[in-house]
Amino acid sequence: MDGRLSGSASLPPSSRGPADAASGPPGASDGPLRAGAAQARPGNLVANVTLFGRRLRSRGLLVGPAEIELALRGLGEANLADRGEVRLVLRTILCARAEDLPVFDEEFERFWSRPAPAPGSARPEDGGGTQRPPGAIPGGEPQGQLSVTEWSGEGAPEEDERAVPAYSPAEIRTRKDFAAFSADDLEAISELILLIARRIATRLSRRMRPARRGSLVDLRRTMRRSLQYGGDPAPLVWRRRKIRKAKLVLLCDVSGSMDVYSRFLVQFIYALQGTLGRVESFLFSTQLTRVTDALAQRDIKQALQEASRRVPDWSGGTKIGACLHTFNEEYGRRLVDPRTIVIICSDGWDTGDIDLLTSAMRTLRARAGRLIWLNPLLGSPGYEPVTQGMSAALPFVDVFASAHNVRSLRELERHLREPRRRHPLPRAAGPAPGRHAGRAVGGSGGTNR
Amino acid sequence: MAAAPTQPEQFRGIPNIAEALRQQGYVADREVATAIHLSVVLHKPLLIEGAAGVGKTEVAKVMAQAIGTDLIRLQCYEGLDVHTALYEWNYQRQMLRIKLEEATGRPVEEKEQVIFSEPFLLKRPLLQAITAERAPVLLIDEVDRADEEFEAFLLEVLSDFQVSIPEIGTVRARHIPHVVLTSNRTRELSDALRRRCLYLWIDYPSFEKELTIVRAKVPEINERLARQICGFMQLVRTVPLAKVPGIAETLDWSAALMALHYEHLDPGAVEETLGCLCKDQEDLVRIRAHYVRPILDAVDAASGDGWTPERVGQLAAQLPRAR
Repeated sequence: MDGRLSGSASLPPSSRGPADAASGPPGASDGPLRAGAAQARPGNLVANVTLFGRRLRSRGLLVGPAEIELALRGLGEANLADRGEVRLVLRTILCARAEDLPVFDEEFERFWSRPAPAPGSARPEDGGGTQRPPGAIPGGEPQGQLSVTEWSGEGAPEEDERAVPAYSPAEIRTRKDFAAFSADDLEAISELILLIARRIATRLSRRMRPARRGSLVDLRRTMRRSLQYGGDPAPLVWRRRKIRKAKLVLLCDVSGSMDVYSRFLVQFIYALQGTLGRVESFLFSTQLTRVTDALAQRDIKQALQEASRRVPDWSGGTKIGACLHTFNEEYGRRLVDPRTIVIICSDGWDTGDIDLLTSAMRTLRARAGRLIWLNPLLGSPGYEPVTQGMSAALPFVDVFASAHNVRSLRELERHLREPRRRHPLPRAAGPAPGRHAGRAVGGSGGTNR
Repeated sequence: MAAAPTQPEQFRGIPNIAEALRQQGYVADREVATAIHLSVVLHKPLLIEGAAGVGKTEVAKVMAQAIGTDLIRLQCYEGLDVHTALYEWNYQRQMLRIKLEEATGRPVEEKEQVIFSEPFLLKRPLLQAITAERAPVLLIDEVDRADEEFEAFLLEVLSDFQVSIPEIGTVRARHIPHVVLTSNRTRELSDALRRRCLYLWIDYPSFEKELTIVRAKVPEINERLARQICGFMQLVRTVPLAKVPGIAETLDWSAALMALHYEHLDPGAVEETLGCLCKDQEDLVRIRAHYVRPILDAVDAASGDGWTPERVGQLAAQLPRAR
């Protein structure tokens, strides 16, 4: 290690990052790394990297002992006097997702920027990044910092207790108690779920398995068998497509207008998630909340409580367009593909931007294998989907069905069986006539906010 | 830390990689160079993510060049299976052999042993990489497009670097290949795979970086046009689009403008060549209707200043916000 530390053998000084230049004269404020390098105390470096790794893990990064060991090996190859290089080395090794990068940058700045206190000398003003006992997190952190890892599902348990960030006071923060529901409902739901699960599981994969009869010849096994017949591949061995499970993404409206149904629908989501495994669940009213990991808890009461605790604006207003847009932006690319069935449970009362809803629905429809809209109001006699939001969303929906009782949910199974309807999508013209014409006349486009 | 894994002789660290990057017309990007360096010296697979068209695949090529070794590429797609990725038997040859052996009267077991031996094996990329004479760079491209079962299989291969072929037995890697995986993030990869890898995120290039690339790859282009193109690209990427244009689109567009003898960008030139940039009908309509002129105006306005990210942000804020 020492050989690599002397001077800047790995990089010419000119190639150092701007952060380096900004951190003052070399040796003065390069932090614990500098101290460790100059005084040849590798123990310091090990302790610091370990602490840093723990911090990152507490913020949801995939950092364990193996990663820390690797980071130390990586630093052994690096020029420790070059802060920019150290940062890049640690970043490459300790991050595993694009979402990790901003968290890493923030933590790196905080952890490695201040000068290392000499062992034993406490720094009361900040608690000293290197002095903190393992695993401890400083108390005074503003909650906003958690925003990136908040719903990542990887967080340490202590994080969960603080995971509700501050939101605008305009939103109503009522939290419903999910704990009370009848055993009958539960039973009906789980029965239903099995049906749905079985149906969904019969989608076909492109992977192969041997079969007595199939669509493709299994050449390998045919050859082997043909040995008995002098090389003529007489009895063909077949393989067929394997059964594969589809993925489900559930987006459930929990706004005020859905109050009567949302409690019930969230249970449905919980059961579906527990049965199928590959389910992602989201709740929304004025904003989107991912609840997949909250609902993954074994105990249904706890799961529902956790989910209701996470949603800051339960029974609030509805901004379906904005929420679906957020979903597309943040999760759509990763969670939705042509094998995914997206189910939206909402009454379509959107108080937000209808244009946004249209474009979000178009994107979702283009990505997903099936798009199903469950509307509890559809069950009431005489209902017609005339709300602005509903009529904007409807052209993009594969299946439009009701969801007001267990029976209606059971019928979902039938809908999942039907192939996608091939009807032309409303393209530029859109469901609201004159929308684009208006934009063209407006010229600047600013008319559409 | 002293027990560093064995390195190829030609490999001399980050400056060497930076040089290879430059030769590829790649701006010597520190993050990329560091990631390649670590991947080689720590012998860890490198997972590269980023939007389509930012040059992820290039990194593997640069790595192979920097180490001075072969590049073996496995392109992933949905339904990719072991037969395509690992090995397959040469059935035609096997059949021929069986015919030839017909008269010999050797027992079936013996014949079987013959036709399921190495000469009859067709090595696919993974097996090639494992059995190569010297450690190659193994590029597993667009791993997000393969399905989860394959990802699990890949994980197994990447942790042990050995595969078992039922007819032959276990094949152990002679040299551990340098593995690069790329993903366009169309699907979430498993945590297990992520933990196994080093991570590199490649973003859309900065103005300066893109300008250098354009100069390197389209050398005959005039400076003004090149700067206009790169400025246009910076701004067009701030517009919400279904398919955001990458570096490949920039280069296509530059070449198209050159072929049509445009000396600078004007609305006519952009209109005529917009198809090089926008590969999606709705994007095309939207850019044409709302953005061509505002972006060109902004590019002209900014011609004197530098294109820092802050400046791009300011200019982007003045563009129309049509959805």
